[in-house]
Amino acid sequence: MSMNEKLKNIIIEDLNLEDITPKEIIDDDPLFGEGLGLDSLDAVELVVLVQKHFGVEIKTMEEARPAFQSIKSLADYIEERLAA
Amino acid sequence: MKQRDEISERDHPKRKWTSRSIGSSFQHGIFYFLVRTGGQQAAYFLLYIVVFYYALFSLNARKKTRYYLSHRFGSRTRFEKFKDTYLMILGFGKVLVDRAIVGILGPEKMNVRFQDREKLLELLDKNQGLILMFSHSGCWQVAMSSMGLINVPVNMLLHHEEGDVDRHYFEHTGQPAPYKVIDPRGYLGGVLEMINVLQEGEILCVMGDRVMGSDSNSVSVDFLGESALFPYSAFKLASATGVPVVVLFSYKTGPAAYEMEVADIIYAPENIGRKGENYRPYVTRFVQVLEKFTRDHPYQFFNFYDMWE
Repeated sequence: MSMNEKLKNIIIEDLNLEDITPKEIIDDDPLFGEGLGLDSLDAVELVVLVQKHFGVEIKTMEEARPAFQSIKSLADYIEERLAA
Repeated sequence: MKQRDEISERDHPKRKWTSRSIGSSFQHGIFYFLVRTGGQQAAYFLLYIVVFYYALFSLNARKKTRYYLSHRFGSRTRFEKFKDTYLMILGFGKVLVDRAIVGILGPEKMNVRFQDREKLLELLDKNQGLILMFSHSGCWQVAMSSMGLINVPVNMLLHHEEGDVDRHYFEHTGQPAPYKVIDPRGYLGGVLEMINVLQEGEILCVMGDRVMGSDSNSVSVDFLGESALFPYSAFKLASATGVPVVVLFSYKTGPAAYEMEVADIIYAPENIGRKGENYRPYVTRFVQVLEKFTRDHPYQFFNFYDMWE
């Protein structure tokens, strides 16, 4: 399973997203607002789940801003950090 | 910048409340001058006159106090209404003067008794962060000035807007803030910074009675006989990071004396989910202790907007 797919499954499960399947999430769609429709409070869960499932910490706004653009950017960020 | 603005705007639509100060910068300056030259007595003397004027002639001041007072006291005679308004504005004015005293003359001028300090230290000894939940009651800034006694970094979620001319106590001396300010208008409402400080074992102070972002981050809970919106964000943070929420009240007990008390310690378990409804029991627990506070100290809850709307 690719990192993108893994992330989609984890996000749906941990955030209890209803009425949406991993297939319906487009890799490049924004996570917040239009797209997946998450809000700033969901970012709390997002930061914690990335830490819990991948051991990757997102600590600064400089890291978060590009990483939280989309599923793809978050998956890339995690893979980069895991490879480092 | 675009993304920041979009998220900021979506999460912070028109608020019903404002942090703008009552009175102009010049009027506040007069009180600061009196504190410097004549101390608390001089500033209080002018305050009694100004508050009497406001309670008697300012329709706006009366209107803003009625939201809370009518819920707290119900039906009142005309004289009782005047007395309630006078005492509430006076209480608020004294808090502002006391805050200036702490900043200008030093924290030693105010005697802050913190009977539950050991409870707080016990929690901090576990090396985990905690959320201190204040409300617009008593004087949280005087309470904060005594936080210096606790050897853990303190962070404050603080919305400061233009027109907020009354100074924070540390601003009088030109000293840096004794706590780090986290701006809720920042990227993602400052949640990243909040998570970080909690995971570092630090203290995060929030207001439990004010919705900072959108109404969608709040739940409706019965407060003084009618439903009002209260934020659940702090409990979501607590659930995600495993830290307790410590409800802390401060109230004035004498001319130069304040008391601080830990009213409740609330644990929100992990995996509650993302729906606001799931956090209602924890918000309700906070609101219940806040309601008890308003029963014990009716003129020390400083709410000046219609939170029941």
